Amino acid sequence: MKKLVKTLSLLLAAAFVLAACGGAPEAPPEPETVTVTGFDGSEIDISIPQVEADKTNVAFVYVGVIGDAGWTYAHNQGREYIEANGENMHTAYIEAVPEGADAERVIRSLARQGFDVIFTTSFGYMDPTATVAEEFQDIDFIHISGQKKAEPNFGNVFGALEEMQYLSGMAAGAKAAEDGSNRVGYIAPFPIAEVIRLSNATALGMRATCPECVMDIRWIFTWFDPVKEREAAESLLDAGATVIITGADTPGPVQAAADRGYTGIAHNSTESCNGLEDSCLGVPYWNWGPVYLDIVEASVAGTYTPEDYYGSVADGMVGFLGFMEGEEPLPALPTEVIPLIEATLADMEAGLFTRFDMFTGPINNNQGEVAIPDGYAMTQSDLEGLSAGYMDAFGIADRPACEVCMDFLVEGFDETAEIPPLN
Amino acid sequence: MTAEYAVQMRGITKRFPGVVANDNVSFEVKRGEIHALLGENGAGKSTLMNMLGGLYRPDQGEITINGEAVYFSSPRDAIKKGIGMVHQHFMLVPTQTVAENMVIGASTGFWLSPKKLYADIAAVSERYNLPIAPDAKIWQLSVGEQQRVEILKTLYLGAKILIMDEPTAVLTPQEVEKMFVTLREMTKNGHTIIFISHKLDEVLSIADRITVLQKGKVSANVAAKDVNKAELAKLMVGREVLFRIDKEAAKPKDDVLVLKNVSANNDRGLPALRSLSLNVRAGEIVGIAGVSGNGQHELAETLTGLRHVTDGVIEINNTGIQNQPPLAAIDQKVAHIPADRNGMGSAPTLSLSDNLIMKSYRAAPVRKGWRLLNAVARNTSEDLIKQYNVATPSIDVEARLLSGGNLQKLILAREISAEPTSIVAVTPTRGLDVGATEAVHQRLISERDRGAAVLLISEDLDELLSLSDRILVMYEGQIVGELPPDEDRIDEIGLLMAGGVQEAQA
Amino acid sequence: MIRFRLERRETTSRWLPIFTTIGAVLVALLMGAILLAYGGLNPMVAYGQMFKVGFAESYSVSDTLVKSTPLLLAGLGVSIAFRMRLWNIGAEGQLLMGAWAATGVALFILPETTPRFIMLAAMSIAGFAAGAFWGVIPGWLKAKMGVNEIISSLMLTYVATFFINYFVFGPWAVGGFPLTKKFPRNAWFPRLLDWADAIPFFRGMTAHIGFFYGVVAAILLYILFKHSKWGYELKVIGDNPEAARYAGMNISRTVILTMVISGGLAGLAGMSEVAGVVHRLQENFSPGYGFTAIIVAWLARLNPLAMIIVAYLFGGLLVGGDAIQPAGIPLMIQGMIMFCVISAELFTKYRIRIKRNAPLTEVSHG
Repeated sequence: MKKLVKTLSLLLAAAFVLAACGGAPEAPPEPETVTVTGFDGSEIDISIPQVEADKTNVAFVYVGVIGDAGWTYAHNQGREYIEANGENMHTAYIEAVPEGADAERVIRSLARQGFDVIFTTSFGYMDPTATVAEEFQDIDFIHISGQKKAEPNFGNVFGALEEMQYLSGMAAGAKAAEDGSNRVGYIAPFPIAEVIRLSNATALGMRATCPECVMDIRWIFTWFDPVKEREAAESLLDAGATVIITGADTPGPVQAAADRGYTGIAHNSTESCNGLEDSCLGVPYWNWGPVYLDIVEASVAGTYTPEDYYGSVADGMVGFLGFMEGEEPLPALPTEVIPLIEATLADMEAGLFTRFDMFTGPINNNQGEVAIPDGYAMTQSDLEGLSAGYMDAFGIADRPACEVCMDFLVEGFDETAEIPPLN
Repeated sequence: MTAEYAVQMRGITKRFPGVVANDNVSFEVKRGEIHALLGENGAGKSTLMNMLGGLYRPDQGEITINGEAVYFSSPRDAIKKGIGMVHQHFMLVPTQTVAENMVIGASTGFWLSPKKLYADIAAVSERYNLPIAPDAKIWQLSVGEQQRVEILKTLYLGAKILIMDEPTAVLTPQEVEKMFVTLREMTKNGHTIIFISHKLDEVLSIADRITVLQKGKVSANVAAKDVNKAELAKLMVGREVLFRIDKEAAKPKDDVLVLKNVSANNDRGLPALRSLSLNVRAGEIVGIAGVSGNGQHELAETLTGLRHVTDGVIEINNTGIQNQPPLAAIDQKVAHIPADRNGMGSAPTLSLSDNLIMKSYRAAPVRKGWRLLNAVARNTSEDLIKQYNVATPSIDVEARLLSGGNLQKLILAREISAEPTSIVAVTPTRGLDVGATEAVHQRLISERDRGAAVLLISEDLDELLSLSDRILVMYEGQIVGELPPDEDRIDEIGLLMAGGVQEAQA
Repeated sequence: MIRFRLERRETTSRWLPIFTTIGAVLVALLMGAILLAYGGLNPMVAYGQMFKVGFAESYSVSDTLVKSTPLLLAGLGVSIAFRMRLWNIGAEGQLLMGAWAATGVALFILPETTPRFIMLAAMSIAGFAAGAFWGVIPGWLKAKMGVNEIISSLMLTYVATFFINYFVFGPWAVGGFPLTKKFPRNAWFPRLLDWADAIPFFRGMTAHIGFFYGVVAAILLYILFKHSKWGYELKVIGDNPEAARYAGMNISRTVILTMVISGGLAGLAGMSEVAGVVHRLQENFSPGYGFTAIIVAWLARLNPLAMIIVAYLFGGLLVGGDAIQPAGIPLMIQGMIMFCVISAELFTKYRIRIKRNAPLTEVSHG
């Protein structure tokens, strides 16, 4: 038996060696990326993630697949932006990397290959990125959506999508008033500060255009699950909502609303409402490209210093579909709300109405109790809900803890809505 | 085209690793005749017939059916040419019904009409006088009933040439007679029958011609009327054979196996044993006669702990073992030679050595603490293989590759080598050739003489008469009579087996 | 006219399954190559890169060991049950439960200051026990009530997923995120990089002693299968339960014991993942190792020693898979290998015969 096992392994190894010897050494003339047309007509790039000599090599680690038309799609747009607009840049990515067992290995293998900048684009990559960044101090690591940073090469990036959610709320409120339902549904992935912040911003926006409107919420405990997202949308519609806003990744909730002749607002990328334009009021989306390119260029110049970078619409990092340069408001949007949104957006771009203004007291919670006292403007730590317990658990030492922490639902949410218990 | 010969096999050679099973064998059967194929186990009868049935392919040689050269790559091809095979090991799906088994292999199209199917089956079974319930599941049937299904199935599939492997082994003398009538009827209707057997009397009374195989070669091809029993036996075995076993009178001692008012159900949940009582003493062989399906199977299983009793007491060596796990009976040194050698008596894909230690692995010398000593197991096995004349190239062969006779020798070796205080033997020579049968019989008698209590359950009256010291007749789960093993009273036994209680006692 | 047809083999050589397995892998790689070439990518470059990343880089051994550790442990667990034709396909659930129990011990039962050896031993025992418990439920149901273990073990996997999620979303969550806090250092398996100061080559090498657990388990199982009373009973029950009952074997007890060990090893795989790699419990921390382990067990034909090699090669295939993007491409190649290996089973039982018109001039292509 031992002999057989040996033969088996030898043959299998031989097959690989054969394959390797056949091509690897003389690889350069081969293109590393080829484009094929998929069965559905979409174009797919097949690529081998490896560095190219004499170029600035940038790698991305994605939690989802680039075809998700959502979170990962938006990051991939950012990657393509670097390749198209940067000077002498080569980019590569590895998609569908689970946050648990594989993240650290994948990040480390990219570092070993010699990529110059590595972006890790999911919250769960925070600790693995920190670990690898410590080992490879000549490579810059940028983590998205976390709060950790370390000298000299580990920083983080996130942005104020809540500002765009506020605009979503304005659009939804106007539409719900037009529908006569005065009820908007919100699909919330996880009871974490980020999601609560976005939900609250949406509710505040809704009340700005429709003071009678009420927002209903469903927690689905996933970022990406077509079935659960759709079920949540159906449940909200059943409860009387006529506009569905999703904070998760797929356009399923918008589809669910469209199927009943109602409208919705999708999330994350410019493509999130593709094919549903007639039933879509807009999309708060990410525009990572310019910020990514700035970071890579700073890294090349040797001037990058780790920071907590928090972008906003002022620096073009986020947008609201239909209102940015070169875009037209979507047809389902009530015409009377369009100038209101345009004006608010202009104030945001001018720095006259930012997230801090949005969350300035007095603001009550949905039980009618004071949540933000009169005159108090929430700080960045407040907005991010940086509790002492959270910072302790993740080893974040250089940020002040929140005082009015983002752990409540604002007035505008249905009285019965609540945040599932946090620990 | 009407050829004289239904089957012609010329120059057939078939090799298996290490064995030449058929060596340049020629075998010819005329249309409408009953042709017996005789030979010891391992002589190559089954191999030859498996090639005719499409299960194996010859290495050399050719086969013609009704004058037409044929090549079979599966049993389906053979069925298409009208060849049906009733196997020694039944090829039935246990979890399906009789009717479902009948249509496996039939070209019935996609839709089945159960009504028509049942009617067809009833018609065939009536025509050949082989009664069967079409909706019974195979696993619920006795061995004899299963064989009936096999025969019916081949007829239902339209076989013109029937190969029957030991067809009478499970039948009563009366049933055998009836079956012979059926077979003769079939030949008149144009069927050709190849009858594989080792029972010389039967072969002489039913066959028109006889081909004898010995060690893979044809040793004779004769008309039945031109030979006698002794000559045939010699052609088969290559030496003179004793037909009657010489044994001393039994010297029975204390009761070893005792059943008191035992009742038990069969697999269908119906009563199979009805308040049955019997006892077997050390040093005697008690034979149980009966038509298959009258509770013999259940009797053997209750005695060996494999079946729960609903009432009554089973004592072995004065220890109650009813409704205890099978190990309780094994601990009382009850040896069990089961009817189903493949399904129960052996682990088919394990080696002979693994099969031989199946009962002895729990104790020294094979076991040592948590370990089994493979070297000891192998040595013991080698010895047993020699001692019991199991023909095999090595002890590493898988048990399923042994012929019926050799497998039975293996089971005997395992069961008897443990020096049991009692032996429950169920149809122990079914399907075995004269040589192997003789060996089994000798073993059982020497075990008796050693002091074992032997319960012999058999459907072969000759066997019961020649081995038993007492014969109990079983009918519908009860003992309906006890007789001495006297050949003159064979009709009486037959009547009791058929349920004729009153007349027999009169 | 030529026709092809399948014929049942009369005998099967012991070499045949091994060659068909290798052949199937090669055929799958060839099919993958054709598809890659159709896509315009030189398959040699793609395979070369996969091989390089999975096997040939200086750190490949370490990375591949990490990946193959849970496959080996869970694969061994699965193979024990499969040996007695007990279809435990719930290794994933048993793995999750093992990880859960180990996490509970590391974070909530033993104090942070517990010495490393005691901490890891306690976690190992807890992981094994929880996996064993999760395995013994279908085992018990099967033995005592005849419940189909395929269904029950699979369903229990879903139960385990929800059970774990309850903890990582609820009482064990940190800041609302579906993960626990990190284990204290004493609850980490020793890794190669722990010795990087002394041996610089080990820098960044995360191979941990979990693989060693797997090798020890494989050798132990090999010995048990071959030399123990239990191994023998397993073999007989697997081959013919009726014969086993006839031989006085206690089938229920053996089924339960087997599921204890089967589930326990899968649980140990989960423990080793959290102690060796993730260092916390989180949602979806296992990318289906328990299911992949079934494939590994089949590829190794349930032989524990072969499992070490097969798990390693399969781990390399998974690691090498990152070398081609998008991720669907390597997944497709891996799927193709599975498909071919399972299809190739056919050729261990049947042969192809080319049939021409004249019946007696057959050519056999065995």
